[in-house]
Amino acid sequence: MKSLGKALRVCAFAVLAGSLFPALTATAAEKEAPKDIVLTGDAKCTTCHDENDSPEALRIGKTKHGTVADKRTPGCTNCHGESEKHVKEAGRGSGPTPPVDVGFTKKNFSSAEAQNASCLNCHQGSTRIFWQNSTHARRDVTCASCHSIHDGHDKVREAKSQPEVCSNCHKEQRAQFARPSHHPVPEGQMSCSSCHNVHGDNPSQLVKSSVNDTCYSCHMEKRGPFVHNHQPVSEDCAICHNPHGTNIANLLKARAPYLCQECHSHDSHPSSLAGLPTDRTGNSLPHTVGRGCVNCHTNIHGSNSTVNNATAGRFRR
Amino acid sequence: MNNFNTTFRLTAVAAAMLAAYGSAFAEDDDLKQLTEPDSSISVGAGYWSNDRPQQGIFDGMRDDHGYALIDADVVKRDDATGTWFKFKGEGLGLESRKFSAEVQQQGNMGGFMSYSRIPRESPLEIRSGIRGVGSERMTVSGSGANVLPFHDVDLATYRDLIHVGFSKNLLKDVDLKLSFKNEEKNGSRHWGMGSAALFVAEPIDSTTQQLDVTLEYTGEKLQLAGGYAGSWYNNKNDLVLASVQGVSNPREDSRSPNTTPLSLPLDNEAHQFFLNAGYSFTPSTRGMLKVSRSVATQDETIPSIGLTGVNAPFAGAPHKLDGEIVTSLVELGLSSRPTSKLSLNANLRYHDVDDNTPLFGFVGNNTTRVATVHNTPHSYETKSGKVEASYLLPERFKLIGGVDFKDQDRSAPKFHDERFVPFAESIEETTYRLQLRRSMSETVNGSVAFLHSVREGSVRALPHEPSTLRDGGSIYDAINPLHIADRTRNKWRMSLDWAPVEAFSMQFNVEDSRDDYQREDGRPFGLKDGQATLVSVDARYAFSDKWQITGWASHDVTTAEQLSGRWARNTSSSIPNMLKRADLEDQGDSVGLGLRGAVTSKLSIGADVQWTRTQSSYDEDTSAARTASEIPLADIESTLTRVSMFARYAIRKNADVQLDLIHERWKTDDWTWSFANGSNYVYGTTTDGTVVSNKPKQTANFIGARYIYKFQ
Repeated sequence: MKSLGKALRVCAFAVLAGSLFPALTATAAEKEAPKDIVLTGDAKCTTCHDENDSPEALRIGKTKHGTVADKRTPGCTNCHGESEKHVKEAGRGSGPTPPVDVGFTKKNFSSAEAQNASCLNCHQGSTRIFWQNSTHARRDVTCASCHSIHDGHDKVREAKSQPEVCSNCHKEQRAQFARPSHHPVPEGQMSCSSCHNVHGDNPSQLVKSSVNDTCYSCHMEKRGPFVHNHQPVSEDCAICHNPHGTNIANLLKARAPYLCQECHSHDSHPSSLAGLPTDRTGNSLPHTVGRGCVNCHTNIHGSNSTVNNATAGRFRR
Repeated sequence: MNNFNTTFRLTAVAAAMLAAYGSAFAEDDDLKQLTEPDSSISVGAGYWSNDRPQQGIFDGMRDDHGYALIDADVVKRDDATGTWFKFKGEGLGLESRKFSAEVQQQGNMGGFMSYSRIPRESPLEIRSGIRGVGSERMTVSGSGANVLPFHDVDLATYRDLIHVGFSKNLLKDVDLKLSFKNEEKNGSRHWGMGSAALFVAEPIDSTTQQLDVTLEYTGEKLQLAGGYAGSWYNNKNDLVLASVQGVSNPREDSRSPNTTPLSLPLDNEAHQFFLNAGYSFTPSTRGMLKVSRSVATQDETIPSIGLTGVNAPFAGAPHKLDGEIVTSLVELGLSSRPTSKLSLNANLRYHDVDDNTPLFGFVGNNTTRVATVHNTPHSYETKSGKVEASYLLPERFKLIGGVDFKDQDRSAPKFHDERFVPFAESIEETTYRLQLRRSMSETVNGSVAFLHSVREGSVRALPHEPSTLRDGGSIYDAINPLHIADRTRNKWRMSLDWAPVEAFSMQFNVEDSRDDYQREDGRPFGLKDGQATLVSVDARYAFSDKWQITGWASHDVTTAEQLSGRWARNTSSSIPNMLKRADLEDQGDSVGLGLRGAVTSKLSIGADVQWTRTQSSYDEDTSAARTASEIPLADIESTLTRVSMFARYAIRKNADVQLDLIHERWKTDDWTWSFANGSNYVYGTTTDGTVVSNKPKQTANFIGARYIYKFQ
């Protein structure tokens, strides 16, 4: 038993010594050539910004930017610049550390153009071809204003959390989404980017070239052309609807009959005074209650009826 | 003792090895946690104590029962090949469920499939005798012996979307992307009989499909994206025949025969080819080009053409519309930074929506059977552009000035007898912008912006005046429709971001927009002016690394002043018997508060409060006295209060349990579905009898518990 114990101890010592030796001898060499932690060539930065100093920086490994098997994946310096001054002087002397060449935070800022150029070096194509002419670009919005580049769960890329990011600036739309009638954005069924290409230069930065083409993506039954087209419908859905939210059902900007009377000056019932019927006997003029004018003009977006001139052309059929 | 020694010595050896390798393994673990994708699966159950007709329209939790709460976010990456495997599921136990699966070898190729369901359940309570909801034949309850058995009608629509996509890197800088969406829409929505206010539900069962094929080139200077986008709409129903039980016609005149044919949207499709291009002449100068052409058609056989009797087609009416709309777009853009302080942007855009649908007479006089009413194609040719310059001032201030212009030619219906609203055959609008902004500063950022625009319609096509007026005036031409009326708009926006210290920040935002709809001589009616004002404040304060509070409040008011006239049927005078001046106002007030904190290293909690009040008012002055039954509309106020809390406890390093509590209260005095005396609205004067109401107070509580398993 004694010899077994001795043998085990000898073996263990040998294993330990054998294991530690290369580790100890490697230390000196590693000091000369620090190892990358996540990205190719990141040792230049992670020598200081390691898991203890900047754990959030290493989270880039969770993202597509951290997929080193993809040879296009950038290193730290591809986005932040070589930053030689920062590397040389950081931690030396009593003065403040010089910033990196391209910084993305308020404390370490670069111009919006410089920040975005860093991203556009790789991401200028696809839906971002027109970025430079977009309202966002022209108002100094940077990629990092919305995107958390080092985060595996970038809020703005997830439908549920995206509106939170957009409402940092778009307060009017945040207020509208709190209205009783709204697209299901607060519920996470849609996101702002369902309708908007925030990197593009279409009117209102929509995903399609016009309001109607954008709306038709989901509301294709309104596209027509119909036998009887309702002119404003064919021109711009936003004449009658506010897509972000309103107090009136179906995202209407105003309640019938007021909405309809913004275009229609007619004799007889179209010019009626707004008011509720007192009871069923007053239902012959149901232009305010329920669906208002649309109680009868039920195909208000357009009609394909070939029946009866007094009704078909006025969207009743 | 021997045993003890042996054990002790072996343990000592193990400790020595641990000293050598243990920290390295722990470091590896820490690094792995920091650098490898996170995954989680969450399983639980929740219970709502009451129905939530208003708040549960879209979220799949409308009714008062238990719900399975299942979410998953699984992200794995094969580091050797750079291949991602993702599965994401949200609300898998709910009606509003969605999930997606994706495999992608980054930089090479990938594919995904996703499914989502969006429910839209009507918040209204409907009790009706109607038969056949969801089909093409519906029968409305009659009166007396013809009353049909009443039942609850739950109107809801469901969108089931399947989206598949594929991408492949073909060559260096060249990618192919394919996307195909198939959406099935099912259910019924609120509709009407057409000739009288009788309740009918529109069947919306239909399929929409979208195919996008894009070839992209992303070079250092040149980027291109071109391809094809096709979309198809297929309606499973094309004509509804609605009748009222036991009557000869719904409105008891020959214009409204029983059975009444109600048209539905017909199948349509669109095909687009497009090319987007950008070229960076220098690092600071870039040109852009966008070209597209699409053809949208609707040529399904019109189903009502096959009807007989009073509904028979009119002479010369075609079986198909042969509808065709060709949309062309050409856009040129240029952005440049000639000096480090000066930036310039310019853009020219030509957008032509050309409705090529041939003109046919479709309907007309029921006695003569001569078609006098034609289809109404509308075309819009829009030329627009913008020029903008920005100049960087000291202290990171930037001054931005720009001009937008728009020149639109519009087609009016060809036949004067078929125009019932004045048309503008062209519109011009010029917008001037000026902004002073400061950004990228550490403590104070913000902007002041001013916009001034003038819209003018140069040529008006007069509408038809059905009655010959004795005074030679006009009723139909007395209005300026809001979208073509001459308008002057002035808009201010001020925003300020203030972050004096790392832990605290505030945002202030004020916007005010005023529209003046200039009156043209002889067209006094329509919108006179409008105003929209918004004030909001946001704040965030971090007490410590572990505790943070956020809050925001906003107040907005939108007003519109509208003037209109009232005339009797077939009046012979253009002078209205009543002038109506309405001041319409919508107001919204919202407050949100949020608290997040870590009580211990294992226990984190959070609470959110949302309070929103909306108010609408309809003040209307009339030039003539109202009758006793013409009661002014009351204001409407709706309030939503939602308080939600959660507590999350880490039972293990890789597993949490979470408790969620929500208290939700919705209150409204919306009279939309009420008679003037406040009783529920009833359709029809003698027939139908469908009762529609909304629940004015909706209070519900939610409790939910989840087990969350986390892994990498």
